[in-house]
Amino acid sequence: MKDRLTAALKASSADYLDIRLESTTSSAVSFRGKRLEAATASVDQGGCVRALNHGCGWGVASFTSLDELPRMVQRADELSRAVRLERPIRLADVAPQQADAIMDLDGDVRGVALADKKRLLQEYNDLMLGVSDRVVDTQASYRDEVTEYWFVNSEGTVLYELRPEVVISGVAIARRNGTIEKGLESIGLRRGWKSAQGHHEAFRVVAERAAALLDAPSVKGGAYPVVLDSELGGVFIHEAFGHLSEADFVYENPQAREMMTLGRRFGNKILNVGDNGAAAGLRGTLAFDDEGTPTRDTALIKEGVLVGRLHSRETAAAMSEAPTGNGRAISFRHPPIVRMTNTYIGAGQGTFEDLIKDIKLGVYACGAFGGQTLLENFSFTAAWGHMIRDGKVAELVKDVVLAGNLFQTLDRIERIAGDFRWNQMGGGCGKGGQFPLPVTEGSPHVRIEEALVGGEVGS
Amino acid sequence: MIERLIELARTQSDGADAIWRRSDRTGLEFEAGRLKAAGVSEESGAGLRVVSEGRVGLAGSTAPDPAALVERARASAELGEQVAIAFPKPAQAPDVKTHDRAAADASIEQLMDIGREVVERLTRDGCQVNASVERIVGETTVANSAGAHRSYAESAVVVGADIRRIAGDDVLMVYDQFLAVGLPNAKDLDALVESIVSRLDHALTIAPPPEGSLPVVFTPSGLAAIMLPLEQALSGKAVLQGVSPLASRKDEQVFDPSFGLIDDPLIAGRPSSRPVDDEAVPSARLPLIENGKVRRFIYDLETAARAGVRSTGHGRRGIFGKPHSDYSNLVLRGDHSPLPTTGRGVGSGTIGGGLIADMKDGLIVDDLIGVGQGNVMGGAFSHPVALAYRVQNGAITGRVKDAAVAGNVYELLKKIGGWGNDGRWLGSRWSPSLLLEGVSVASR
Repeated sequence: MKDRLTAALKASSADYLDIRLESTTSSAVSFRGKRLEAATASVDQGGCVRALNHGCGWGVASFTSLDELPRMVQRADELSRAVRLERPIRLADVAPQQADAIMDLDGDVRGVALADKKRLLQEYNDLMLGVSDRVVDTQASYRDEVTEYWFVNSEGTVLYELRPEVVISGVAIARRNGTIEKGLESIGLRRGWKSAQGHHEAFRVVAERAAALLDAPSVKGGAYPVVLDSELGGVFIHEAFGHLSEADFVYENPQAREMMTLGRRFGNKILNVGDNGAAAGLRGTLAFDDEGTPTRDTALIKEGVLVGRLHSRETAAAMSEAPTGNGRAISFRHPPIVRMTNTYIGAGQGTFEDLIKDIKLGVYACGAFGGQTLLENFSFTAAWGHMIRDGKVAELVKDVVLAGNLFQTLDRIERIAGDFRWNQMGGGCGKGGQFPLPVTEGSPHVRIEEALVGGEVGS
Repeated sequence: MIERLIELARTQSDGADAIWRRSDRTGLEFEAGRLKAAGVSEESGAGLRVVSEGRVGLAGSTAPDPAALVERARASAELGEQVAIAFPKPAQAPDVKTHDRAAADASIEQLMDIGREVVERLTRDGCQVNASVERIVGETTVANSAGAHRSYAESAVVVGADIRRIAGDDVLMVYDQFLAVGLPNAKDLDALVESIVSRLDHALTIAPPPEGSLPVVFTPSGLAAIMLPLEQALSGKAVLQGVSPLASRKDEQVFDPSFGLIDDPLIAGRPSSRPVDDEAVPSARLPLIENGKVRRFIYDLETAARAGVRSTGHGRRGIFGKPHSDYSNLVLRGDHSPLPTTGRGVGSGTIGGGLIADMKDGLIVDDLIGVGQGNVMGGAFSHPVALAYRVQNGAITGRVKDAAVAGNVYELLKKIGGWGNDGRWLGSRWSPSLLLEGVSVASR
């Protein structure tokens, strides 16, 4: 395959050209309630060619029929030449890479029978259903894949990679009369069959919580000291800050560049934030991004001060900064754009107990049903919460929605515990029509001096 | 291809259906006012479903080898549940315009001109303008072992544009898009530009948020939070699972008597229209809510078989995965609001759809943050505003930041304060603005 790709490269006269080819073997099983929805195996393959000529824009051609490769190489070149630009696009230098990056398949899922995958998911699903007769419905899904991946470019980079992934998720829906609550467990790993085992306890816990939330009161809306658990802390930093760190948000916009000037203070000295595409064994981890740039640990905020941002080769060149290996695409159907990998709030000091011991009345917000940022404003829905009373974790509460302004909230992070962990969840990140991109988030417990907690806003 | 697939599957199973889809996309990206990239994408593939000993199996591939596909579908069926799916027999399906020759034949230069015009007209000091133009040409064929077979050509044109304005730490983004089967004409582009510009202009002044239980106009885009619980609850699947709050309330007066919601796959020129659904069931209009009463739920073949009803023609499937039920074009309208007589257009009219003249103090909500998070089906929502305007004494006085709106959709829709005169398409949904009273508004 490498020979076929390098031959196609050589046939083109484009100033720059890259070809990405993927062949993904996947299987998926899903349950709704007691009922199997589907158990399927699929093959998805295709490629994407990008061409760039001097004084011209990008030409991109993606396709599912590999026989079309020579025609697509030509088409990408033509499209690039059709886009005339006065200010040329430059690419930051990346040394040519030749590597076979074969990740640990951890029990190759391609060798496991579909029936065994169904059996495993059924165990998890049955545990959720068996918790209580209040659990009236479930949605459980298992998906695995192994992608064979080739990348070549006209600068001499030739890569072959094998990328595994397993995602298992379960939603337990509890109901009592008109009240419906849910619990969500989601596991996403760049691993294989072995790591899919042994998650029984986690699925039972979320179903129990869904049933318990039926009896829990809604949190009373208002401003509180808020402690985020590791999962919500990770989602917060990804959504609220990570997206602003993506250089394609700022590189063409003078006002945005000003807002995100390196050296600007974003928080207290205790705040350290980064994105590490090279961290071992995480779902957002890859040896190279989809432009053939090696991944790395990029500091974004150091001791409260903005020190870096995430780049593709194009944005790095435009801002005269170093490429960071964050040019990623969800599949051959799309060209790479600037994306996060494994984004984190760095560890602070002390325990969770230290963090809450002087909070008289506050909210402990846990887990994430979702989060959305609209530039400087965000909203996060915690999966559940507890009141903090007199320095102790008190009663379970529901409808914990955090809303706020990014800049104010970062500035109000006053304590960070030392209990850092990565949260390897399923789902993924969406941007520019590309969803779901595998990412990971990590954080210790984080204490925000004051944040608005909704749920029953206005009541 | 699909004939061979069905033929082969028929000999090795009790029944089968399949979809074959091809789509060619041409896309242009304008970033910060200039054309930066041009792309094409060619994709085709097939999805197969077989019934073997009463069990259902599925397989899909972009590299379809009929024998391999049938084998994988049969292996999937060995694990599958028993479902008495009855594949529809050949039937007369209506014709509907899903393809436009001028759009399909448009050159890349024509598409560039459209993008350039939009960008030029939106360009202003201190703002970043991005735009994209995408043209999709495709063909869908659905067929089954009962002899049903239908092919139709499709096209779609999407012109999207946004303006970003950053002033200090205040970030404002206004977005809109044109979507239709055919190319936009001059009026369509006028409407797109005016929609973005007027929402931007009204947003330049910041107004303090009001507080309390207030009248709120939800614009067609702001209505997403209001419509989402209904869309989930009107799914036959939710009824079957026992989680739809509307399941037991058919023909009751659940909503304001003026409230009507129709699923209409037969509107000419809309990209979500189709002569048959993805399971070869002929398309037909389906009244979901009439005069405030729930009439029907949507079903695909499998949920219909399990519920003991007929499919309403709402099967949707991709190359991969299982057919599920989904809406085509959702049309929301009051007794007297205009029908979506045309397949085109962003719509026009002033913000608020003529509903604010008598409003003493309230809000116009155009976009909310976090729609779809949390417990949607129950109808309760609570969202910070992404784009909202304060209304005082019948006039817009500025953009409201740092405010949140909350309420329960089922309570709010019992009484509709007014239907706007600004009906428009937003993706596959047609609606005017709606005035709802007693929405909880909080500042922060």
